[in-house]
Amino acid sequence: MNAPLAVYRPHHNIRIITATSLFDGHDASTNIMRRILQDSGVEVIHLAHNRSVQELVKTAIEEDAQGIAMSSYQGGHVEAFKYMIDLLRESGASHIRVFGGGGGVIVADEIKELEAYGVTKIYSPEDGTTMGLQGMANHMIECMDFSTLDFHQLQAEKLTKNNTKELAGFITALQHAKAADPEKLAELLSIIEPQARRNSPPVIGVTGTGGAGKSSLTDEIIVRFLYDNKDMPIAVICCDPSRRKTGGALLGDRIRMNSISNFPSVYMRSLATRDSANEVSEALPEAIQAAKAAGFELIIAETAGIGQGDSRITDLADISIYVMTSDYGAPSQLEKIDMLDYADIIVVNKFEKKRQ
Amino acid sequence: MQRNRKGWETSPEQFPVYGTIASKFNDDGVTALYHGIIDQLNAQAGTRLSSTLERPEAKVSSSKAIVIPTDRTRYLSEISESVRQYHAKTAQQAETVRNVWHLSESIRLLSPTAGDAPDAAVELLTREKEAQALAVDKETEELISTWDKVREAYSQDELVYEIRGREIRVALHTMSLSHSRIPKIALPKFTDPAEIYSWRRRENLPGSFPYTGGVFPLKRMEEDPTRMFAGEGGPAQTNRRFRLLSENYAAKRLSTAFDSVTLYGWDPAERPDIYGKIGTSGVSICTLDDVKVLYDGFDLCSPTTSVSMTINGPAPIILAMFMNCASDQQIEKFSAERGRKPDESEAGEISKQVLANVRGTVQADILKEDQGQNTCIFSIEFALKMMGDIQEFFIDNNVRNFYSVSVSGYHIAEAGANPITQLALTLSNGFTYVEYYLARGMDINEIAPNLSFFFSNGMDPEYTVIGRVARRIWSIAMRERYGASTGSQRLKYHIQTSGRSLHSQEIQFNDIRTTLQALCAIYDNCNSLHTNAYDEAITTPSSESVRRALAIQLIISREWGLAKNENMNQGSFIVEELTDLVEEAVLCEFDRITDRGGVLGAMETGYQRSKIQEESMYYERLKHSGDYPIIGVNTFRNPEANFAEENATLELARASDEDKNEQLRRLAEFHSAHQQQAPQALEALKQAALNGDNIFEQLMKTVRHCSLGQITNALYEVGGQYRRNM
Repeated sequence: MNAPLAVYRPHHNIRIITATSLFDGHDASTNIMRRILQDSGVEVIHLAHNRSVQELVKTAIEEDAQGIAMSSYQGGHVEAFKYMIDLLRESGASHIRVFGGGGGVIVADEIKELEAYGVTKIYSPEDGTTMGLQGMANHMIECMDFSTLDFHQLQAEKLTKNNTKELAGFITALQHAKAADPEKLAELLSIIEPQARRNSPPVIGVTGTGGAGKSSLTDEIIVRFLYDNKDMPIAVICCDPSRRKTGGALLGDRIRMNSISNFPSVYMRSLATRDSANEVSEALPEAIQAAKAAGFELIIAETAGIGQGDSRITDLADISIYVMTSDYGAPSQLEKIDMLDYADIIVVNKFEKKRQ
Repeated sequence: MQRNRKGWETSPEQFPVYGTIASKFNDDGVTALYHGIIDQLNAQAGTRLSSTLERPEAKVSSSKAIVIPTDRTRYLSEISESVRQYHAKTAQQAETVRNVWHLSESIRLLSPTAGDAPDAAVELLTREKEAQALAVDKETEELISTWDKVREAYSQDELVYEIRGREIRVALHTMSLSHSRIPKIALPKFTDPAEIYSWRRRENLPGSFPYTGGVFPLKRMEEDPTRMFAGEGGPAQTNRRFRLLSENYAAKRLSTAFDSVTLYGWDPAERPDIYGKIGTSGVSICTLDDVKVLYDGFDLCSPTTSVSMTINGPAPIILAMFMNCASDQQIEKFSAERGRKPDESEAGEISKQVLANVRGTVQADILKEDQGQNTCIFSIEFALKMMGDIQEFFIDNNVRNFYSVSVSGYHIAEAGANPITQLALTLSNGFTYVEYYLARGMDINEIAPNLSFFFSNGMDPEYTVIGRVARRIWSIAMRERYGASTGSQRLKYHIQTSGRSLHSQEIQFNDIRTTLQALCAIYDNCNSLHTNAYDEAITTPSSESVRRALAIQLIISREWGLAKNENMNQGSFIVEELTDLVEEAVLCEFDRITDRGGVLGAMETGYQRSKIQEESMYYERLKHSGDYPIIGVNTFRNPEANFAEENATLELARASDEDKNEQLRRLAEFHSAHQQQAPQALEALKQAALNGDNIFEQLMKTVRHCSLGQITNALYEVGGQYRRNM
């Protein structure tokens, strides 16, 4: 009954945080929506289920996203969405759009109340029927089709480890400039580089094959650093591939990382590779510079590959770690893994499955 | 690395290679790696980091694989093989039986009358018959030779049989208004012994192996499979609802829904995103005192009371609260009767009796939580360890009438899986618990009777046979593969009609869907049934909608004529065909899961999750395109309807601020009353976990002084938090 709808093509790079609300495991609709958003060219930072409002707001600010989409099927939605609007306002991030859905659980009067309070849109089951999945996605993308750079001041003195909003803005600006505007890039770098050189914290590069458990391992390492120094400011930058065809990306590294949300001193930023021809974002070196300038004491960069040109992970990191599983095929396959020649540390994860 | 660096002269230990298990909590391989990282940073980046964590001697994890022993990882395919072999044997034996029968009949027809010369043909046939008869098994012969007796027994007025040593007599017929004698069990009229044999192997009577038609010969007369479902606001409010729902029934079958704060193991709190959920869509429970109020007035040890608790992540904690509550009830009873408190040995005797008698189910199915429902709170391995501890505690304390787990497909289906996937994943999870418990040294006949199952019934054709297929696969696996007793072969399951098949548009149509699903469940002889209220897609059901939902069950079981018969599905070509088809599809899924290293191996790669998501996506697309018709939603839409307005007239169940604040007050009161003992109790709990003791046994003590949130946080420290999966 619904003819396939054309995909709305945005003018800006759109990033959104998706999750279900706190104490809510009903992730079926969130998963469907995030897939359609990805296929429509959006970079989706997916947090999966059971996420507090604080986590979502912290993430949206760190990731410099244009929106947050949260589903809520377990009740308490009025309190939760209002709390989100309040927290965004308190954090000076009211430009971040808030979307929601909860099937029939969120009734019409509540939808009205929430939209009046500042929620951009709560999609009802009736919206689902009349707009269709793509129609809802298009509507969301259209509402988020703006540049976040209008909401950042980008001043060096504001770039501190406690001002993650400013850091997030710098990284976005650097990523844009790197792709299209060399003059702007030089200008931005001249702002941050003196600070970065002064701080010069250590950088750990983590690379490895997909499914080897890089994110879990990174998380476990962070947990141990925090065990020894619970306030240690750590910045984590993760690269995930963009889909060439659509430009969309699933940035899913946060899903497996518990420490990121449990400790306020940890900053994380997910970078899609966008136009880069390999698994490392072209803007990774600049993002690392920005995190250095902000005063983090340790920086961890996680990528799926070794990188090329000036984004080569071994050149960016003080030490590099290669994560693999014992599942590598014939021993001669190992000789093809370039990274084995460069890594300072090799990790065979999922060690319980080691070959007999 | 040795190859690549051409370091042939260096010994492998000196290379910076680490073996880790990042998915494991507190893995020493990761700690070794952490030390390695610090060393390298200090050497190469000029840092001066140090660690208080002890440096492990080795660079690799000391723990080996964990839940299922490596030589048992093919368990699911072994079950597939057992079931396929069972059917192959049936086919082979049936053919032999038919040959013998054809030969006997030929001999009978050709046999010369007395006085005639012996016939060479008859002799040849007789020799062939005798040769063929040698290949007929004893079991085969028995199934055929006892058939006449079975027919005889079922033509009587009453059937007499034994369950757990108790003689049960049940009428075999009912009388219709037209004075027809309607049999509860209708038997096939086969004359071909091969057909009789083959039917008894594939189907058999309800109550007989392989239990395709049902696990008991007949339904119990005195107890409808109706559960009284409640959970809203605080414990006192839910207690009132329980009393109301159960007042007209002798059997108190209480089913408890917890609010989501409880389901995730937290205490109520003032933070808005927590506060809003206190007492919403379930009851708020965070202390032993709450549990006592919740079941106040119900004798938890009475044989007619049974309590089901829908909780998973924190299930061990809530279950320990429940067991303590049951025990305290009896101790109070003792004190009231005797005018004094029981002494230590009397108290011990009371708690022993309580454990042996208490009846109910706790969901506690952590595997499906990771695959579909998402209320895992502890790391999977730690959660499984605690499930095993519960089962071990049940065996040691003779807890016979309580199911330690309800292996659930419902939530897998609700998350979007089709019925075949629901069944395959659920059974595979059930067999995984069996394998894990066996690996811990428990006996199959002490494990299996403590397991129950829980499925969803939706609109798809496969739901007609979901119980049949589950029972057949389970019983064959138990008998042929695990050598388990008759009691262990009986798979018992609860059905809830599908919440996902209900829609918020034209909600009055929902009861029609629920009725069809309930009919399906009753025809399939489910052991217990919950019918959803029509307004479930919008709110916690009102008392009016719950009454209607209950009426659906009663109308089917009391009014609907054909439901007087209890083996309605047997003998239908399509039902038999669906049974075989769904069974084989499930076995194929078992093989696919085996290829991925068994249930836990497949979970690690997110196999089950992505399968469920794919199927959910497929349904949504068809629903939106209209190819999958849903009346009132995408087909036969009412152009004049204004759903927003219609639904606005519904009475919305929202916990009041008063209820919420009352819960916060009760919690603060509990904390302050136990502030002396709580820290020690938590410390003892952590120590028990670190020592590898039975954690559930310790929890039985912890819950007397600590709240749910306190306990959850203590267990995170020793067992690790759940890591989400995509």
